[in-house]
Amino acid sequence: MTRQSRLPRPGLDRSLPVWLAAALVLLFLMALPLGWLVRVSVSQEGGGVTLAHYRAVLADPALRRALGNTLVLAFWVGLASIAVGAPLAWLTARTDLPGKGVLRALVLASFVTPPFLGAFAWVMLAGPNAGLLNTLWRRLTGLDSPLVDIFTMPGLVFVVTLYTFPYVYIMLVNTLALIASDLEEAAAILGAGRLGVALTVTLPLVLPALVSGFILAVLQALALFGSPAILALPAGFHTITTQIWSFFHYPPKIEQAAAFSLPLLLATALLLLVQKRVLGRRGYVAVGGKGGQRRTIALGAWRWPALAAGLAVMACSIVLPYGILAKAALSRAWAQPLTWSNLTLANFTFTFVDYGATQAAIVNTLELGVATATVGAVLVALLAYVATRRLVVGHQVVAFLALAPIVIPGVVLAVALFIAYTRPPFVLYGTLAILFIAYLTKELPTGYAQSDATFRGIPAELEDAGRILGAGRLRILRDVTAPLARSGIIAAWCFIFIGVIRELSASIILFTPATRVMSVVIFDLKEEGQFGAIAVLGLTMLALTFATVALMQRVLGRDMLGARE
Amino acid sequence: MPGVTMKELSKRYGEVGAVQGLSLSVEPGELLALLGPSGCGKTTTLRLVAGFLTPEAGEIWVGDRCLSSPAAVVAPERRRMAMIFQSYALWPHMTVAQNVAYGLRFKPGLARAARDARVREMLRVVQLAGYESRYPGELSGGQQQRVAVARALVVEPEILLLDEPLSNLDANLREEMRFEIRRLHEAFAITTLYVTHDQAEAMVISDRIAVLERGRVVQVGGADEIFLRPRTRFVAEFIGRTNVIEGVAESTDALARGGLRLRVAGGLSPGAPAAVSIRPHDIALAPTGAAPSGPLDNALRGIVKRASFLGDSVDYQVAIAGTDVVLRVVTPAVRRFGAGDAVALTIAPAACVTLGAEGPA
Ligand SMILES: Nc1ncnc2c1ncn2[C@@H]1O[C@H](COP(=O)(O)OP(=O)(O)OP(=O)(O)O)[C@@H](O)[C@H]1O
Ligand SMILES: [Mg+2]
Repeated sequence: MTRQSRLPRPGLDRSLPVWLAAALVLLFLMALPLGWLVRVSVSQEGGGVTLAHYRAVLADPALRRALGNTLVLAFWVGLASIAVGAPLAWLTARTDLPGKGVLRALVLASFVTPPFLGAFAWVMLAGPNAGLLNTLWRRLTGLDSPLVDIFTMPGLVFVVTLYTFPYVYIMLVNTLALIASDLEEAAAILGAGRLGVALTVTLPLVLPALVSGFILAVLQALALFGSPAILALPAGFHTITTQIWSFFHYPPKIEQAAAFSLPLLLATALLLLVQKRVLGRRGYVAVGGKGGQRRTIALGAWRWPALAAGLAVMACSIVLPYGILAKAALSRAWAQPLTWSNLTLANFTFTFVDYGATQAAIVNTLELGVATATVGAVLVALLAYVATRRLVVGHQVVAFLALAPIVIPGVVLAVALFIAYTRPPFVLYGTLAILFIAYLTKELPTGYAQSDATFRGIPAELEDAGRILGAGRLRILRDVTAPLARSGIIAAWCFIFIGVIRELSASIILFTPATRVMSVVIFDLKEEGQFGAIAVLGLTMLALTFATVALMQRVLGRDMLGARE
Repeated sequence: MPGVTMKELSKRYGEVGAVQGLSLSVEPGELLALLGPSGCGKTTTLRLVAGFLTPEAGEIWVGDRCLSSPAAVVAPERRRMAMIFQSYALWPHMTVAQNVAYGLRFKPGLARAARDARVREMLRVVQLAGYESRYPGELSGGQQQRVAVARALVVEPEILLLDEPLSNLDANLREEMRFEIRRLHEAFAITTLYVTHDQAEAMVISDRIAVLERGRVVQVGGADEIFLRPRTRFVAEFIGRTNVIEGVAESTDALARGGLRLRVAGGLSPGAPAAVSIRPHDIALAPTGAAPSGPLDNALRGIVKRASFLGDSVDYQVAIAGTDVVLRVVTPAVRRFGAGDAVALTIAPAACVTLGAEGPA
């Protein structure tokens, strides 16, 4: 009865290929490795299922200590990150503190600084014997004992916090920016004092962000490998991540590594679930309303002490570490004063010319960075487009799966990939491909979050307007969506690239001599005591990072810490 | 110029039935307003017509082509329609001229020069000549709106769809643009479906109005017909202010409620519950003792509860003696009563419009 040709129902035709592709990607990135991880953790010689490996790791007092150390580290890092990040966020978001822009830029810098570089720098600054601060202290006081010893649990907490508090800062600064001062002023008019307002209105409003920032900081500390390896191992104690890594030393105990990895995975998943709950209830407060005047709070006489405190934190996090790295890069002996006779470029020639491993590592890192960022940016753009435009049945599942790898700490991911890809049918161990898979999986959530925000920012009506005028879906993708999403996609590329070039915790387990990357070489150089070369490579890594950050801020037109109108 | 026919359309979002068995015809060349409160399914209906959504049931026909059915939907780009969105949906990365010219890219056989000429002509019609190379971000709200109109009209669509195109404008500009859209419609005579939740806008702009309630059409007709003879309580209350009196029908043309007895226009079924609508300005007020104006009119007495002076009129609330009924009355401002005054009310039976039974629960 109708003359037009029957067309297939929209949705079904597109769903199939998308789902096939997504399923394949996720199979290789997650299902296969994690499946093997679980399987190996309960495998028995000669077949069958056993819990013996779990019993073994839990019964071993040394392993129990590592577990305890990790909990202590994560908890204190979480608290300390709040103590540092929350006041800084409040000061830069809501007060008339001078130099807010500088502080914010420095927080951004510590956000992108690879934590293991910070740890190296602090070894040079506060090592008990040769550490710069301690030698200064001895010279000033004539005492024999050091001022501080970085090779201790408090030292480790200190250094980890310096590069973890930005997570709290970001959560909070973006929340504070959204709370209209009207709410606070309403309370003030009702007679609450300044402290009263802070306690009764502001604090409850930002509490979800605080808790969630705490959890993010704890997760960072749980998953970190570099800093504990640099600071805890010389001090004679292990954390879960360094312990898992040491299972790979000869003779490798893969089953125990697997059994030790799963609790870490579960703990991460649980914490993220709690965080989601906490943030999910944010709806009841008026956060996120638009408009709303933000009033600046006058600090009065407290401006300068507050600024001094902020700068002191940033000195520990950025100025001192970068300074000592620069000094080490340029001097023959990093512990000696920087005189003309001590000045040299030999570290550069050694690193870039003489030392065999570096050039290959830099090439590997750049190759992996570009490949992962490019494939990743395209992948997350497609996934986010499909999910935000609800192009397929079950688009929510696509989003969930793209974000799922966030629960896998780098070391655990590496153990899983090691197990999955050292055996047929997919033998990838020893190739760059296994690192590529690790990086892609690890960076998928960050990139996806960025892309999701990008496509949410492009109203679907802009696409619809073109459709109804006669353009097909692909045509609209080219004429409307792509030009508008371009800067967001470039930003996702940059995020992934930065994440890849600094990656250590998965690389350290998956590399082979032919597939070393910069972070691994830096780590190896530590064994040889080559601090000058470490500094040179570290500064190179930082230069790459900051160049990428600059590119990203340029295309985004704002800094990468988040929403600021 | 074909018309549009929607037959028994249904569309659900999860549990929510956004459109439920909606049937409606837009005559060729007609401008029909889809009027209804927020959430009644206006946008959903429009997006069904545009082909962005697949109906769960029902069909959409344009002329003799079936464009939508649960089994098959012609893609939006092949429907020869144009749409103006509430947000305007102008492309921020294209200039005004590029925005307007975009739809012409898909007209085969249109030379570049002809295309440019049409864009220029269209921009002149919407009074935006000289703005060709601006970006949408550099235009005022009203100018953006006119770019959206130009972009839709330049392709000479068979059907034009508008989704609350004026709701982002301030009151003055809105009034101006109403006449503008009406003028353009008269110039091009494109079959048009115009979504709005503003009854005044619907009355000024449209040839006919379809009132939507919960995904269904409850009444279709000219503005006067809908205003003067609302079929349900919902329509009466949605289109302008009114008094609704519920009671029992005593005969085909008399309604009783407690001590109140009203002669009405007719059409009641004796013995059944019934309701009538009386517009506030159809009630005359006089001092008590004045003679009723006509022998058949309803004559009531009451006490003024509240009187609000509105400049050119006065808005009263009058409690009717011996009943629980409070009537809203609007009179010219020539003679005024104050709160507490006793008044006589006169209501012509023709002003008591019988409402259908199927009002909202
Ligand atoms: N994408 C969606 N997902 C779920 N529910 C939806 C969606 N779009 C609309 N709805 C629901 O369908 C119903 C009708 O929505 P629709 O947008 O058609 O209303 P409307 O009449 O255009 O309202 P308004 O005047 O506010 O624009 C509403 O109850 C709405 O909540
Ligand atoms: Mg709507």
